[in-house]
Amino acid sequence: MLESEYQEHNRFFLNMGPQHPSTHGVLLIVLEMEGEYVLDPQPVLGFIHRMHEKMGESRPCQNFMPNTARMDYVCALPYNHGYVSLIERKAEIEVPKRAEYIRVITSELNRIASHLLWLGAYLLDLGAFTPILYGFDDREHILDILESITGSRLTYCYYRFGGVYQDIDDTFIAATRAFVKRLRKRYSIYEKLVTKNIIFIKRTENVGIVSPDMALRYGMTGPNLRGSGIAYDVRKNEPYSVYPEFDFEIPVGEQGDCLDRYMVRVKEIEQSLRIIEQALDRLPDGPIRAKVPKNIKLTPGDCNFAVEAARGELSYYLVGDGTSTPYRLKVRVPSYSNLSCLPELGRGILLPDLVSILGSFDLVIPEIDR
Amino acid sequence: MVKKPKDYKEDFLHQGFDANRTDYSQRGYHLEVALNVNQVRKFAQTAYDLGFYIVFVAGLHVRPDEGQDKENSGLEVVYQFARYDQLYRIKARVSAPKSLELPTISDIYQGADWHERETRDLYGVVFDGHPNMKPLLLAEEDPDFHPLLKEEEKLKFLAEVSWPSAVPEVAKKEAEPETGR
Repeated sequence: MLESEYQEHNRFFLNMGPQHPSTHGVLLIVLEMEGEYVLDPQPVLGFIHRMHEKMGESRPCQNFMPNTARMDYVCALPYNHGYVSLIERKAEIEVPKRAEYIRVITSELNRIASHLLWLGAYLLDLGAFTPILYGFDDREHILDILESITGSRLTYCYYRFGGVYQDIDDTFIAATRAFVKRLRKRYSIYEKLVTKNIIFIKRTENVGIVSPDMALRYGMTGPNLRGSGIAYDVRKNEPYSVYPEFDFEIPVGEQGDCLDRYMVRVKEIEQSLRIIEQALDRLPDGPIRAKVPKNIKLTPGDCNFAVEAARGELSYYLVGDGTSTPYRLKVRVPSYSNLSCLPELGRGILLPDLVSILGSFDLVIPEIDR
Repeated sequence: MVKKPKDYKEDFLHQGFDANRTDYSQRGYHLEVALNVNQVRKFAQTAYDLGFYIVFVAGLHVRPDEGQDKENSGLEVVYQFARYDQLYRIKARVSAPKSLELPTISDIYQGADWHERETRDLYGVVFDGHPNMKPLLLAEEDPDFHPLLKEEEKLKFLAEVSWPSAVPEVAKKEAEPETGR
């Protein structure tokens, strides 16, 4: 289109990001606009690309552990979990029951922390400042609990091949139980503050509707998919670790708008609390780490392992060549596929709705860029 | 109510694909499909019609086996598909020809768009018919830099990085007609 025609139609290009607060990190979206309507939003990735996959295939598999936490730094433990489980499947290592229970407890705590951070940040995107203060207050308790056993607050490297780094103690169990009790009491605050807030509902209801067919074509997973009414959760669908031993539900939405995605995450917090409670009640005694050879040989052949991270399905795909260094390590991250539908979903909508959609996707950019 | 899990091997065999069941507990996927370049789009369409979602598209760099196939570039592209309604994963693999051109599936699975651009970034495989084949993760200034290509001395043959059972199966197929006679 000629420049004069552009001016006539009031069309222009707008760069949203890479420093925009509601892109949650260094994501650039180039928007072709007509007045306040978005004609074509095109995400531009790669600002913090670090080539984790190359690092994965240029060092022994143990040394890649710290990298796993640096992709999705908001919910790092499931990334630990997927990687250790992948190597355990490949090297046929049996993990003690107690270690798996500890993994589930800590992973679920991390999932709640991630959802609380998202809840606060999403409302901040929509212009509400207060909820993030409550969200961070609750999340802080989880970070303290996890710090006491993992030694870090964000980029955990706590799981080991065949188990976990160290055992949990009575202080940890007491603090976790106290936290479960505390968070349940806080539900009514969140409900009054956010869920029943008419401004919030107006900004999210019927906005950014993802149909089940669209989700399938883009490979969407996690709460973004479940908001569209498809009850797909790797923890139920492809059971790993000790998840089959717990009684929990998969919350789903109805029509797949931003409000449904919000409700799914809020309900997931309660389900994670249920898993934690059951795991603490039935925590078995025993060793926390299996005997594992110092130099793990990855036999020739490929192998896949999927886990449910806070944002959806995380798949590690490894090709071994008989040495301890992976020949190829592919990391399939959920946010990458979830965001890729934006050009289709964001066509012809209002700019404020695009902000609402982006926030409802719960994006973590270091995970997308890897 | 739990639906009885269905095996999709027959559906793919029926469409003329070389599909083999694998040991899920060992490999993490149920079906392995070996494709040639002309089958890629038909395979994606079949998977879409059967209701699979796309998990990822990735590359793999191996030493080209020139004795077997002179057109072999050594670059493999791996597709993975799975289902929302039951546990079933498919891995499909295709070897890129010397021209490094493969047909795109981004018009069937729009999610493949970014995965294919990423594969071009990291390996240099070009997807024919892709609407927007420009760098995604890497800088646009240097489109010929492909970081996941391995150095010559680190390259291994495909057979060296595959499950050992794959080799005897091929040998068995060749031996069968002779024993039949």
